Amino acid sequence: MAENNKKSKNKNYRKGLDIFLFLLPAILLFVGILIAPIAVSVYRSFQKWNGFSPGTFIGFKNYKDLFTSGSIHFMPALKNALIIAFFSVFVQLPFSLLLALLLGRKYKGERFFLTVFFMPVLISTVVIGQLWLKIYNPDYGILNRALIGLGLSNWTHVWVGDPKTAMGSVVVPTIWQFIGYHMLLMYAGVKGVSPDLREAAMLDGATNWQVDRYVVIPIIKPIIRTSVIFAVTGSLKTYDLVRIITNAGPTHKTEVPSTLLEDMLFLRNRYGMGSTISVMLIILCFAFALAISAVFKEKEY
Amino acid sequence: MKMKRVVSTVLAGVMAFSLAACGGAAPAAPAAPEAAPAEEAPAEEAPAEEAPAEEEPAEEAPAESASSDEAITLNMWCIATESDSNRHSYEAAIADMEKLYPNITLNWEAFENESYKTKIKAAVSADEMPDIFFTWSCAFLGDFVNAGKVYCLDDVYQNYKSELPEVMLGNSTYEGKHYGVPLTMNIVGLFANMDLLKEAGYDEIPGTYDEFIKCCDDLKAKGIIPFGCAGKETWCVTEYLESIIEKSIGADELNDVFVNGATWNNQGIADAVDTFQEMISKEYFDPAGIGLTNDEVKANFMDGKYAFYMNGTWNCADFAANDAFKDKVKVAEFPVIDSSKSKLGQLIGGPSDTLAVAASSPNAEKAAEYAMELGKYICHYGYLDGCGLPAWTPYGDTSSINPLTQAVSEICANAETYVLFGDTAMTADDASVYLDYVAQVYGSEIDGAGFIEGLASDLR
Repeated sequence: MAENNKKSKNKNYRKGLDIFLFLLPAILLFVGILIAPIAVSVYRSFQKWNGFSPGTFIGFKNYKDLFTSGSIHFMPALKNALIIAFFSVFVQLPFSLLLALLLGRKYKGERFFLTVFFMPVLISTVVIGQLWLKIYNPDYGILNRALIGLGLSNWTHVWVGDPKTAMGSVVVPTIWQFIGYHMLLMYAGVKGVSPDLREAAMLDGATNWQVDRYVVIPIIKPIIRTSVIFAVTGSLKTYDLVRIITNAGPTHKTEVPSTLLEDMLFLRNRYGMGSTISVMLIILCFAFALAISAVFKEKEY
Repeated sequence: MKMKRVVSTVLAGVMAFSLAACGGAAPAAPAAPEAAPAEEAPAEEAPAEEAPAEEEPAEEAPAESASSDEAITLNMWCIATESDSNRHSYEAAIADMEKLYPNITLNWEAFENESYKTKIKAAVSADEMPDIFFTWSCAFLGDFVNAGKVYCLDDVYQNYKSELPEVMLGNSTYEGKHYGVPLTMNIVGLFANMDLLKEAGYDEIPGTYDEFIKCCDDLKAKGIIPFGCAGKETWCVTEYLESIIEKSIGADELNDVFVNGATWNNQGIADAVDTFQEMISKEYFDPAGIGLTNDEVKANFMDGKYAFYMNGTWNCADFAANDAFKDKVKVAEFPVIDSSKSKLGQLIGGPSDTLAVAASSPNAEKAAEYAMELGKYICHYGYLDGCGLPAWTPYGDTSSINPLTQAVSEICANAETYVLFGDTAMTADDASVYLDYVAQVYGSEIDGAGFIEGLASDLR
């Protein structure tokens, strides 16, 4: 009996060891690539450090400066990121959902439209940025040319250089680019809805819109939640299009946390402050992801 | 069964080991800066990495060759990209160097100006600098020198004293030690499209400020935009603003503010900023410029969209190389605004383009000598190409130099004082704040008073 016990204990121990060994690569990757850099960033965020000389510990001063110093521009940057997030959630996602629902109704040319709407996601952001820059060009850009052609020359602008229109000129391409991405996520969900349910609702006299509203949307709610999380956290981390289209200008009017982070690190040599911004970004992304999950949970019956 | 388990465990172990090696390397990037404060770290690490490259040729080299003739490879980073005016001078200089130093193989890479600033700083903090690197003098190089990452060139400079005047090393000298090889030097020039000026009735660039303003009015009356300035790259705005400030308050006062810690709270600067903004409000500047890059503005100027373009004299090469444009363009000094404080001959510019040698280079001594010699040749060819004025004593036949560069030489021959470009003279952090305020001035978000008050409170 005792020997049996020992044997099973030994077996359990070896089983644990096996599990540990198999998990080890993933753990090492996770710690090495994700946890360690975050830990280093947190450590550096408490320091004043120029990247070359030894850093000095300054406690929470970087965090205080982040919200109070006028020359750091973190709050305006955060505001801009939230503006992009707002438009993503309330303009981009409804549009994506509409396209997904329409395509889900098995219209003719479904595949063709799916490809067309998804195309911007496949094109490199740099190309998209350059494309929109050409559209916005004050001299030969199609936007100003079209306005002049329509006799609306008063409406022409230096779109990316005018503080009043710069933010809009970033928001539009950002939203346009990812409509296809969210559409594809939701389309997969719409396609996953059983045709039986659709037919049953139809037999009961429901219109197409009623089927979408009362059958399809409640079923794909988890996917919509994922899309909202992606849209919000993606907006908080947005970088490439801003850098290409406006370079965060004019005078920080289109600054977002990621461009600010890069400037702090590489332009201003303020590695401590840069780490602080990165830590804030991580916290904000987590907080928003949790908040969005909570909102959707409440509404699930 | 047992065998299977043993094999699977062994395989898992091997996989874990191989991944651990990768995983271990991953955090090295962020962790590396931690090692940076310890001075020994780069010295220990760098030779360990470079050692094979250094030893292999040494083994191959026959015993009879002297140690100084050892074949080595040096790496260099610079900003002479294909589209850069300096590209040809680098290529010609490197071709000469290959003949002069057959045992040294130079691997060089060129990066775009703005991204290079990021790249070199990241490389310095990670101790992955090339042996020789391009840098800007004053504060930019100063940060690296203070961190102990740059090789001191005092010893090797002794051999070049007769060819490189010590006065040209001022911007790359820290605590009495020389750390940089200056290449060409440049100033801010007022370039003019003479065809457009002729349309407004001017045969020459106006010499006084009043005439100059009248000329701008006349140009406007003819429907010609006087100036183009790229708002998307704030350094282009400083080319205008700093010249206006210098010609209003004088070079010494401006230099004190830029370099010697004098307060920004200077009414003269506020007035000069207001003068600049008056020019903007009178629509002397292309309103579209605020959303354009320098390349776009420069192209517009060469296309005849603007009468004037104020920018570095490195542009002479490009202007002179354009057959359709070279006969139209002239260069002059910005006129004096307040003659009681400033005068002609006070210029913005000076030697800033510099080569430096990494302290962590396993062949630092040889790299230093190579950098000196290479700098001399780049300077020579750069001068011949019209990329700027020579920091080194010119040699050979220089009669082929384009008339535009010769005109700049003449301006410099009569120069009294140089004030280095503000964003080069200041530390990176200060320069960034300064450029922010300059951008706000160009966007008419703040006036002169706001400019000096903001800088006085944010910078000191």
